[in-house]
Amino acid sequence: MSRPRAAGRGVAATAAKVAGAFAGALVAVGMLPVTIVALAGVALAWHRGWPARRLYRAAAWCVPMLVVWLAATAITAHSLGPALTAPQLAWTAITRGRYVSAVTIVAPPAIPLGLLAAGWAWSRRLAAMAARSGGRTPAAAASFDQRQWRHQVRSARARIAAPGAIPLLTANGDFVAGAVIRSVGHRDRPLTRLPSDRLRGHQLILGGTGTGKSTLLLRLWAGFMANGLARHAAGLAGPPLIVILDCKGGADARRIADRTRRVLRDSGARNVAIWPDEARLSLWDLPVRALVTTLVDLIEHGTGGAAYYTDVLEAIVALAVEAPAGPPAGTADFLARLDASWLALAYSAAGFGDQLTLVRSAARQVPDVALRFRTLFRRLGPGLDGPGGLADADVWYCILEGTAEIPVAEAQARALVDLLANHVTSYVTGHVTGVRGEARQVLLAVDEFSAVSRRLPIWQLYERGRSLGLAVQVSAQSWHGLAAREDDRFRIAATAEGGIWLLRTPHPDPLVALAGMAAGVDSTRQLAGRLRWRRTGTSRQQPVPVADPELIRRLDVGQAAYLDRGGATFTQIKRVVAGPAALPGPVTRPGPAAQPRPAAQPGPAALAGSPPAAVAGSSPAAVAQADLAAAGAPRSGPAPPAGQAHVRAALPDVSALLDEAFGPALPSRAKGSRVGRSERS
Amino acid sequence: MTTAASVHQPRQPGRRGPRSIPAAEAGAALILTGEMYGLQLDQLAEVLSATPRQARAVVAGWVGRGLADSRVLSAGPSWVWLTRAGLRDCGLHYPAAPPALSRLRHIRAVTAVRLALQAVPAYRDGAAHWRSERRLRSRLRIASRDHIPDAEVHWPDEPAAAQAPGQTPPDWAGECWAIEAELTPKTITRTAAIMQQILTRTGDYGCPVAEARVPGSPPRHARVLYLCSPEATGTVLRARDMLGHLGARIEVRALPATAALETAP
Repeated sequence: MSRPRAAGRGVAATAAKVAGAFAGALVAVGMLPVTIVALAGVALAWHRGWPARRLYRAAAWCVPMLVVWLAATAITAHSLGPALTAPQLAWTAITRGRYVSAVTIVAPPAIPLGLLAAGWAWSRRLAAMAARSGGRTPAAAASFDQRQWRHQVRSARARIAAPGAIPLLTANGDFVAGAVIRSVGHRDRPLTRLPSDRLRGHQLILGGTGTGKSTLLLRLWAGFMANGLARHAAGLAGPPLIVILDCKGGADARRIADRTRRVLRDSGARNVAIWPDEARLSLWDLPVRALVTTLVDLIEHGTGGAAYYTDVLEAIVALAVEAPAGPPAGTADFLARLDASWLALAYSAAGFGDQLTLVRSAARQVPDVALRFRTLFRRLGPGLDGPGGLADADVWYCILEGTAEIPVAEAQARALVDLLANHVTSYVTGHVTGVRGEARQVLLAVDEFSAVSRRLPIWQLYERGRSLGLAVQVSAQSWHGLAAREDDRFRIAATAEGGIWLLRTPHPDPLVALAGMAAGVDSTRQLAGRLRWRRTGTSRQQPVPVADPELIRRLDVGQAAYLDRGGATFTQIKRVVAGPAALPGPVTRPGPAAQPRPAAQPGPAALAGSPPAAVAGSSPAAVAQADLAAAGAPRSGPAPPAGQAHVRAALPDVSALLDEAFGPALPSRAKGSRVGRSERS
Repeated sequence: MTTAASVHQPRQPGRRGPRSIPAAEAGAALILTGEMYGLQLDQLAEVLSATPRQARAVVAGWVGRGLADSRVLSAGPSWVWLTRAGLRDCGLHYPAAPPALSRLRHIRAVTAVRLALQAVPAYRDGAAHWRSERRLRSRLRIASRDHIPDAEVHWPDEPAAAQAPGQTPPDWAGECWAIEAELTPKTITRTAAIMQQILTRTGDYGCPVAEARVPGSPPRHARVLYLCSPEATGTVLRARDMLGHLGARIEVRALPATAALETAP
């Protein structure tokens, strides 16, 4: 009894399916224009790798056309009746061979309806594939996803190749990194846009060699500079400053520095200083207390029993720096002070009895301390001996030889961070500009900081950056290159409120885990025979990672995943094209102005607190003067001594002309009027 | 350019007839008025080497033809500036507007500097060219953060006078000077920053940002000429001293006596 009944049910079901298909085919043929548009829409979405929302949005953009068509029909026919009979009119036009008229009549309703139908069909297809229930085999979903990824990459590459399609900043100041390949949990947009506050937050960039990390970093820096300048021009913040610590060093660092200079110039940076190759900073501009701490930290010292020697070292350094004559003006001055007789003479005046006692008790250790500092400064080179300060340039690209000379690079990193902290603080208080101003927008970008982070842990740098209100951007080639300890790595990643950029890396799992999970559907299929599966099975909801780690392992050059607030946006990064490298100037015989002058030897004058003699260096001003000397050799002469800076050098004398027009030159008031160190001390 | 051939004053009985202003002089004065934003009548008279009455007659002619407008904007003589038609006729592509009230002092001071320089024979013999702030600003397509000097003076390498027998070009031929009229003192740091910006610039105003300061290229301005009021002199001198050896390219002089704007009693 049951078999015939079951067979009957099967026949009925088959008949119902056939009838449904037949009815669907009839509707499709009856609404052929809509069907054609829907098929074209689905094909286009498949080819471009679009989400279904894109088709719905296109349908929405057709609404004005529909409204105009209805309005025109109502106005001309005084009724909407002809609009309802449009398909019939179109058929009539086709039968009479008037194909253009037929398309014109039917297009206004057919296109939006077709796009809606395409969106619905494409969303069903995507949902079925996401739930792994579509396709002939269970593997179909995976191959569909890979195919769609290829299509999405192709579309994104086409978008960034179009001239002017990817601006650096949008009209409202958002930063644009490139074209979106795929987004999960983020708003679906054609461009990867970051609100400007993300640029001013801590960011983490992870990517191996040759993955396009430098391209991404350059774009981020250019975006920060352009956005910062716009904010400064609007009076919302102080001027931007970018300090880049390239902790690898070597020839590659120089090449990237040159590219950085050209890119950032185009973004509005007036001058980009490359330290220590072309510009210098002065450690001696630090406030006295901070200078003592920094100098002590530059020397490697131990704990336990060695702590005694650390205390002695600190006491002697404090005596040398805090001498009544004022802080040292340079390395040579400081080293000259590390002498027991100098210290005794400096504190011999009344009122310094305690210090004098300390000098006498520590007299035996002073030569050892001097030897250590002499060795340190010889290895450090002249890069921190000035003249120059962070205010002299908009961008400082600092190259630390972290792979070749690790202890030196560590000391340099420590000093540079202290200088930056002091600059940020003193800018707000007005010590830099003379006017209390708004805080500068500072970005500290550190690449491979783990190479030099033994004495300044990177999480400490993070915390310090947060307290100073500056953005810290940490980049590394791998998860393990981020910091020495796993705790530190997680601490850095978890506090990157500006987002995480992941390029191709073999171990993305810790960061992918931080990005979070999203709800997904996993379906099973029943095996019916050899390589045959039935449509029946079960589905269950389970969490899946927002950023697929396998996808990140397969990312191509110039592709990155941006993880932020529980979402991921896969992006094809738009390369920032730099201007051509500057051609070398005409070869001229170097004049005496270009020759560096030796540093002033400290002597009694230093004890008396007189201002230090200017040391020829490579601050931007000095570079400009050197340029003048090189390019216009006949006009330049030797640099005049300090205090007589206004004395005319080798420029032609125009006094007669100016005297005749405006009267005699005004007398200089230079004597004793120099500001700077004397005021500070 | 629609300028009159000459401006004639009617002869009055018992008085010597006024000198007629040649059309070329009146045309040059019209262009100068456009370049300097506007002129006060006494300065225009100085430009025309005429009496204030003659200058007023010239201005009346300009106003009558719609080339200029004239009004009392400050104490002292009235101001004259070019209308849109006047600027167009002079070939100057600047937006037409009366001089800003807040800038009248500065405009007068810069004009006084220009007139004082032009009065020197060496300036004329050197065929120097005055490039006004208005012209420099008009070259900027986008807002610039850089300081724009009040003027530039270009000294040609081979002025026409040098081609005459016995004449040689001045020693400073080929130089470009930046002119700064300093009426009110800024902070020393700000003044020094402006000086440094001007002295280290290598590109023309309006050039691409990347060319504004190119290492290895010669600086645009060989020297900067500061004309200071008594109040601003100290600040400028101290700022120059702060610059070290760059300061050797800065000349500081007092503003001409005619630079001051007359104040209301």
